[in-house]
Amino acid sequence: MNGPHSENDEIAGRYKIESFIGEGGMQYVYNAQDMLLARNVALKTPKNPSAEKRFRRSAVVASKVNHPNVAKTLDYVEYEDRAYLVEELIVGADLDKAIVDKTSCVDPYLAARIMHNLSKGLAASHHAGVVHRDLKPTNIMVSGGFQTESIKITDFGIAKMAEEELAQAAENETLTGTQTAIGALPYMAPEAIATPREVTVAADVWSLGAMMYELLAGEKPFGSGLIAVSRIMSNQKPQFPAFITGNAQFSPLASSLIDIILECLSFDQNDRPTADEIVEKCSFLCYPTKERRIGTVIETGFRYGFISDQGERIFFHYDSIYGGRPAQGSSVMLSKYPGGGSWRAHPVVKLP
Amino acid sequence: MDEISALMAMRSNHVVQVYDLLFDNDTPTGIIEEFISGMDLLESSEPQASIENYLRTLWQLAAGLSDIHAHGIIHRDIKPNNMKLDDEGVLKIFDFGLSRFADPDAGTVGFKGTFYFAAPELFVDGKVSFTQAVDVYAFGATACYLADKSLPSGFSKSPPDPAPADAFSSKQIGIPDELSSLFLECLAHDPVQRPSMAFVRDSIAKYLLKDKHQALAVFGNAPQYLNKSNKSVTLNLGNIGAAVIAYDGLRFYVQSVSGEVLINNSVVAANDEMPGSCVVALGAATRHYTERAFITFDISHPEVLL
Repeated sequence: MNGPHSENDEIAGRYKIESFIGEGGMQYVYNAQDMLLARNVALKTPKNPSAEKRFRRSAVVASKVNHPNVAKTLDYVEYEDRAYLVEELIVGADLDKAIVDKTSCVDPYLAARIMHNLSKGLAASHHAGVVHRDLKPTNIMVSGGFQTESIKITDFGIAKMAEEELAQAAENETLTGTQTAIGALPYMAPEAIATPREVTVAADVWSLGAMMYELLAGEKPFGSGLIAVSRIMSNQKPQFPAFITGNAQFSPLASSLIDIILECLSFDQNDRPTADEIVEKCSFLCYPTKERRIGTVIETGFRYGFISDQGERIFFHYDSIYGGRPAQGSSVMLSKYPGGGSWRAHPVVKLP
Repeated sequence: MDEISALMAMRSNHVVQVYDLLFDNDTPTGIIEEFISGMDLLESSEPQASIENYLRTLWQLAAGLSDIHAHGIIHRDIKPNNMKLDDEGVLKIFDFGLSRFADPDAGTVGFKGTFYFAAPELFVDGKVSFTQAVDVYAFGATACYLADKSLPSGFSKSPPDPAPADAFSSKQIGIPDELSSLFLECLAHDPVQRPSMAFVRDSIAKYLLKDKHQALAVFGNAPQYLNKSNKSVTLNLGNIGAAVIAYDGLRFYVQSVSGEVLINNSVVAANDEMPGSCVVALGAATRHYTERAFITFDISHPEVLL
C-alpha cells in the first residue's frame, strides 16, 4: 500500500484503512471504513505533513458546498501529527480515467450531460462563495463509467491548498518543478496564469469550457505542457475540428455546445457566462440519457455495419457515428434501441 | 442502532446527511446532522409558487421516499415539517426517529405518527402492523397540503375519513388529471391499492417534461425538429408511402399512415408511439433503393437535474 498507511491502520479511533485509492499532486487517498457510522469514506491526507494548516483551511472551504454534483466533505481530523479530510466515497474513477482516456472524443449527447452536471456543481459552489481554482478532469469523480451515474467535483479543499503552489509556479519562469501546475495548466484561465492570486469564479468557468472542449474534440484546446501557456495568453479562440459539426445527427446539439464553450473561453473574464447562466443554457439542451454500452464491430458494409455486444447483434448506420469511423474489430461505445429484428445502435463512438 | 446503520448505508440526495453520533458510555445520546437553513415545508411558500415548483418538490419527495424504500426502510413520519428545500433547491427529508426496517414484523403498540398524515391502518388498538405503504399515504396527504396549505378536515379524525374524490382536482394550482388521480390513489384506505413511490416519481417526471421534448428527424442531410412549437411532421415519398408524426406534449406518435411505411422494419399503425431512436422507411424492402427513403428519428428531452 502506498503513502503513510497500511491496511487496517486506525485513525482517531474511527476510520479504518481498507485500501489505497490513489494519489494526487498533493495528497494520498484511501478507502476507509467509518467504524462509527458503518460506511465507507474517502480519507485524504497531505503528502507534505507540514501543509497541515492549509489542509485544514481547505477542509473548511470545501465543507461549505453541499450539492449532489459536489463530493461531500464529512469530517476533518488531526491524528498523530497528520491531518485528514474525510469525504463522501465515490466508487468510480476520475474523469480522465473514466472517460477521457477511454475515448478518442465524446459525442455531444454525453458531453452535454457531463456539462450540465458540472455546471450544476459549479453553480452551487459559486453560490457558497467558493472558487475551485484547479478544475481539471482529475478533480472530477465519475461513477458508472460511460453511464455517468454520478458526476461530482472534488478537491475544492486541495485547490485552496494548491493555490500557493500554483501561484508560485505561475510567477516563476520555470514551471517544470511542480506536478500540480503542469496538470492544471491546460485548463487554466489566462488571468490564473497572469495574476494567480486574484482569480475569481470566472476562472472556474474557463476551466469548465476547456474540459468540455477536450471531451467534444478529443484534444485539449490549447495543447499540453508549457506550449499551452503561450496559446492561452494569445487571446485567440481555439478552432474546433470539423468533424464535430460534420454530421446532421449531431450538429444542432454540437453547435449549441460549441457556443457555450466559446463563451466560457472568452479571454476577458467579464465576457464569460456565470455558472448559473451555463446551468440555464444546459437546462434547455435536449439529449438522450439512454444506457451506454461497449461493443465490438463485427461487420462493416458500404453504409452500415453490425456490432456485437455480449453476443447480441446490433445494427449501426454510418450516420450514427460520431468521430472516426470504426473498422472491423474496433471497440465502440453505443446506446442501443429496439430495431425490429436486430437492435439499432445510436450513437456509435469508436474507442481507442 | 440498526436503524441508524441502515440510514448510514443509505445513499440518497434527499436524505439529510449524518455526520456523527454521540454516546454516553455505550448509550447513544445524540445525532449530529447536516444543517439545512430555511423553513420546513409546513411554513415555506416555495412549493405553492407555481405548478412547476409544486411538481418539482413532489418529484424530489417521491424520489427520496423511493430511495428510502429501496433500502428496506419505512420512514413512518412523513409530513411537511420533516422536509426542507436547501439553498440549492434540493429537498431533504429528516427525522428518522420513528423509522423501521420493512419486514413482516414491522409494528408497534399503540398509535405513533402525526394526525392528518398517518395512514388509517395505524389507528388500531394494540399491536399495529404496517408496511412502506404508510409512507405512500403520508406522501399523498403531504401532496394535498403542499398544493395550497390546506387539508380536508376529515383527515384530522382517528382514523381519517377517506379522501374526497376532488381532493386534488379541486386545487387551484392546476394539477394534471393523471397526477390528481394518482395522488388520490396514494390516499387509498386499503394499503395494497396505493402505488409505489418509484411509480409516482416517474409519473411526476413525465409532467415535469411536458411540452419540453424534442425529436430530431433527419431526411437526407437536413435536420428538422419536432417540439412544442412544431407539433407534427409529414413524411412523404411520392405515391409510395406517407406518415404524419405528431407530438402531444408527452409523447411522439404516428398520427396517420398510408401506403408503405415501416418503422425499424416493422409495419406501423395510427397511434403507435415512436421509439426513442428509430428509422422510418418509406417504401417496402422489396423496392429498389431509389424508390425508398429513410428518415432517422431521435427523441430527447432536457434532463431534470437537482
